Amino acid sequence: MRYRVRQDSRLQYRTGVTDARLNLRLRPVTWPGQVVRDFTMELDVPPTERTEGPGPYLSHVTTLRYSGRLSSLRIVTEFTAELSPLPVPDITPPVAELRQMASEARTLGPLAPAAYLYGASMTPPDEAIGAWAAPDLLPDTPVLEAARALAMRIHREFAYAPGTTTSRTLPAEAFAAKAGVCQDFAHVMIVALRMHGIPAGYVSGYLRTLPPAGRARLVGADAMHAWAAVWCGPGAGWIGIDPTNDSLAREDHIVLGMGRDYADVTPVNGVFVGGGKQTTDFRVDVVPVDETMAEIAPPASASARRTG
Amino acid sequence: MASLGADLFGADPAADPLAWYGGDAEGDLFSASSPAIADAWRGFVAALSRQGGGQLGPVQAQIDRHVAELGIAFRLTGDEQERSWPLGPVPIVIGASEWRGIAAGLVQRAELLETIVADIYGPQRLVREGHLPAAMVSGSPHFARRMVGLNPPRHHLQVLAVDLARGPTGEWRVLADRVRFAIGIGYALENRLAISRATGGALSEMGARRQSDFFAALRAGIAADCQRSEPRVALLTAGRFNQSYPEQAYLARHLGFSLVEGRDLVVRDGRLFVRTIAGLKRIDALWRWINTHSIDPLNFDTRSRIGVPGLLSACESGQLSVANWMGGGVVESRAMSAFIPRLCRELRGEPLLLPNAATWWCGGPAERDHVLEHLDDLVLSSSFRTPVALLPDGATRQGSSLTAEERVRLREAMGRRAMDYTAQEIIRVSTTPCLVGNRLEPRGFTLRAFLARNASGAWTVLPGGLGRISQSGELRTWLMGEGDLSADVCIVDPVATAGDQPFPRLTLSVPEEAPAIRRGAGLLPSQAADNLFWFGRYAERCQQVARAARTLLQCAGDLQADPGASGTVQRLSQLLYRWGAVSSTYGPALDIAAAALGDTGAGSSVASLEERMRSLALLLRDRLSRDSWRAISRPHAPLVPGNAESLIAAAEAAIERGAAVQRLIADTLSRADAWRFLDVGLCLERASLICQAVNVLVPAEPSADDLGALLDLADAEALYISRYMTRPFAAPVIDVVLLDPEQPRGAIFQTRRLVQHMEALPQLRHSGRADPPLRMARQLHARIEALEAEHVTPRVIDELVDSLGGLSDTIARRFFLQQDVLRRRGTEALLG
Repeated sequence: MRYRVRQDSRLQYRTGVTDARLNLRLRPVTWPGQVVRDFTMELDVPPTERTEGPGPYLSHVTTLRYSGRLSSLRIVTEFTAELSPLPVPDITPPVAELRQMASEARTLGPLAPAAYLYGASMTPPDEAIGAWAAPDLLPDTPVLEAARALAMRIHREFAYAPGTTTSRTLPAEAFAAKAGVCQDFAHVMIVALRMHGIPAGYVSGYLRTLPPAGRARLVGADAMHAWAAVWCGPGAGWIGIDPTNDSLAREDHIVLGMGRDYADVTPVNGVFVGGGKQTTDFRVDVVPVDETMAEIAPPASASARRTG
Repeated sequence: MASLGADLFGADPAADPLAWYGGDAEGDLFSASSPAIADAWRGFVAALSRQGGGQLGPVQAQIDRHVAELGIAFRLTGDEQERSWPLGPVPIVIGASEWRGIAAGLVQRAELLETIVADIYGPQRLVREGHLPAAMVSGSPHFARRMVGLNPPRHHLQVLAVDLARGPTGEWRVLADRVRFAIGIGYALENRLAISRATGGALSEMGARRQSDFFAALRAGIAADCQRSEPRVALLTAGRFNQSYPEQAYLARHLGFSLVEGRDLVVRDGRLFVRTIAGLKRIDALWRWINTHSIDPLNFDTRSRIGVPGLLSACESGQLSVANWMGGGVVESRAMSAFIPRLCRELRGEPLLLPNAATWWCGGPAERDHVLEHLDDLVLSSSFRTPVALLPDGATRQGSSLTAEERVRLREAMGRRAMDYTAQEIIRVSTTPCLVGNRLEPRGFTLRAFLARNASGAWTVLPGGLGRISQSGELRTWLMGEGDLSADVCIVDPVATAGDQPFPRLTLSVPEEAPAIRRGAGLLPSQAADNLFWFGRYAERCQQVARAARTLLQCAGDLQADPGASGTVQRLSQLLYRWGAVSSTYGPALDIAAAALGDTGAGSSVASLEERMRSLALLLRDRLSRDSWRAISRPHAPLVPGNAESLIAAAEAAIERGAAVQRLIADTLSRADAWRFLDVGLCLERASLICQAVNVLVPAEPSADDLGALLDLADAEALYISRYMTRPFAAPVIDVVLLDPEQPRGAIFQTRRLVQHMEALPQLRHSGRADPPLRMARQLHARIEALEAEHVTPRVIDELVDSLGGLSDTIARRFFLQQDVLRRRGTEALLG
């Protein structure tokens, strides 16, 4: 499956700011089964300094510094992603065995299971979430089966309710409210798995929104999306599971990056001097390349899938 | 036959208080020491006893006084106020030969830790080959993945603290490595200073090794890797609410480093700068007292408000040395101790010279089983000091204290996440003589030792350290616990004693500290200038409020004899209200004066202003002399309201205090830029207050009392009388308090000084013109110079007060930090 992805982000500062420094994590990383081509990033205001490089987890970071006054910034990123998902293993190690494998893996790299075993700033350990997940994570259950059961329960028990949480909501709050958006669901799932010694990461990316039957695909209704990845042993590696849609992350999920939680892969963050309030506005288009522009219809309301 | 008495009745306790000391023969440091070292100990204690007039008890009070005079303080977590530092008079004495072994072990450990850290952030061979489990590294909250591949100029570790315990059979063991912060190093320095001041020559008689060489080496070591030949070094503090802020300020002052906070610093083009009154100045090296994760909100935790955005880019470009390099804290975890002995053999091919406490990290199945089987003999702890099941505070627990039900829960939790748990053998510590009341009694102790690299990169060990004597037995904390005591640690070279000579002879080794190393001149961070400016303003306002309160009390006392003074009483009350010293002018004069002096609810009462001055003084501690510091922080007698006599006395005491503080500070700051900012604040405040006083106290038809009160405030009665030989009239009084250039409290005297200060301060001179503060000061001064007393109207005065406010704002904009707070914004709306 081949997609053309375009993200149009606009940052606005009401009264203008100075000495703005931004981290952009908008360039997709290399991921098993995903090839990215023709990445471009356009900035309507040229920065004073710009650097590119890998982030501490699995991310690509563009840093920008603006020494002068900045009142708005438009960032347009575009790329082509070709997805040929790896086969889903028939059998994965049971939970108890996987725990041992995770603590024995001799690597500290950005994909190392050890890197995703512990709590982080937005995913602190939580006994309540651990206890809630326990029935699905029995020692003898194959890990992928266990993780899918967990995703199914999140999908069933949690209400998808945009606006009830923010990008800073901790999983404990979303868990107590049993409501949230993709970020909250991914965080709850990650905390649950880690409480049982199973490495789990937070994946930031894009989702192709499937059209309802007989309708053309929606444009502009797509959003940035997030899901969880579970380490399924040295053979199978990382497998993406989307609790928001109760599905595996495969030919509809385009990976931007993976970290311990949202804080590691925040798409845009930074610091600046000034009292101006920052507002952000964005559009994401994920268009299958074999479709022609003629088929693109105006935005419609209904969607079979949840994003965000 | 003096010895006969001693034989019959035991040793004279005054001559040898250690004669009856009941320490265990092996498990007590003194009792187990060699004869020569025991003599050194006895000699010191005897000297203490002589100093206490034959008793040891009084010595503690003397030590306490020296501690207070040195201004040594600290906070326990959660403390609002600083506490005074608890220091016992009897040092921990260790013989040079015993110390030699400890020091060698410490250096070996420091080198080993450097190798481990360098591998974790470099090739990661130890993990790849299975010597170090990846999950043991990644579990540490101080593992900074961002630092992998980002190498320091030369060394990851520059300064190190190691907690040691002496076991009951005399062997020394490592309890913990303190890699992130060498907390206690400044206290060790101050302890030595306090003991050496309080005990005269006793330390040098004992032959205690001096410590100044170590601090010189530390300083040279931190500056050694800088690229510029005259590097500028700063100590980066988290701020005054940090537990060890007083220590950090002291170290900065002692070593001649600039004390800076994150907001003083800025990164431009891959270089680190400090904002000073003369613009941005480069910083070549930092001694950081901020956690890695807080040091750069762009590269680590975006929520950090104490860091410097982009600091890492200065590191990446090779333009900045940082001690210790970010991420080194990864080797601090308790779990690491389990691997240190093996890593020492693997990396150095030799055994550890100083063993650690035996440690089991439960991430391995065999270790987990061992711990579960031997729980009763072990101390259970959270591997990475994070909250985990059964140890919700991340602290430690005696395994034997776990109930049957808790053991079931522990087994279950370890089934899920064994790597969160680490267990250690129970460490028993030796005792050391500790003064309790009048007697010496054995108390458990630990020792924090300090190491630093010298200019050539070799590790040196402080001969001594921070001794901690426990009342509670818990000595695993970073600093002092409730009820703990600190002690100086003396490394003693035994003097070759001839025959039965009881005390060592005087040696040439002088324990007195070397003078503080001179600081690099001319660096005044904007924030320090800001603080000095406000200190000057508060100090002056405090003085004037106290004067006005005194005048008010005197006028009110005269009311019976002179009912005409009631208008003056009213106007003085209004003036205090206008200055913000009281929140209402309603009520008897006595109450208003009492409020102006003591009501902390009003922002500009004497009590509130003195509190603000103390807060600012804390921030300026690295610049203030001990005398000024003492003058500011000295407690004073409480206010007794309702009694005019005592209120007048309190007002006069406040006036004297204020004058003493102003004088002391002005003296110690010399005539450099720092002093100018203090004086600028003072002049601005003085001019503004006296102008306001003219408007409030001089109505259309002023009485002699009104004018007298004004002269009193300006401290110009004597001048007026000598000049005019008559009762006060409006125009001459106004001339004296505002326009007479010879009257040092007059307004024009202040504006002239303001012009002089602005001329002397660094100019940026954009477009070749004088900077705005200088231009404004000149305009203001010219305006006052042109005034004639007869034509001074309330409107003219209001304009002057406004101009003074404008000048204050302009000075702030030019010299101080931008008021705008650094904002951090994420992508709030990008998701969901």
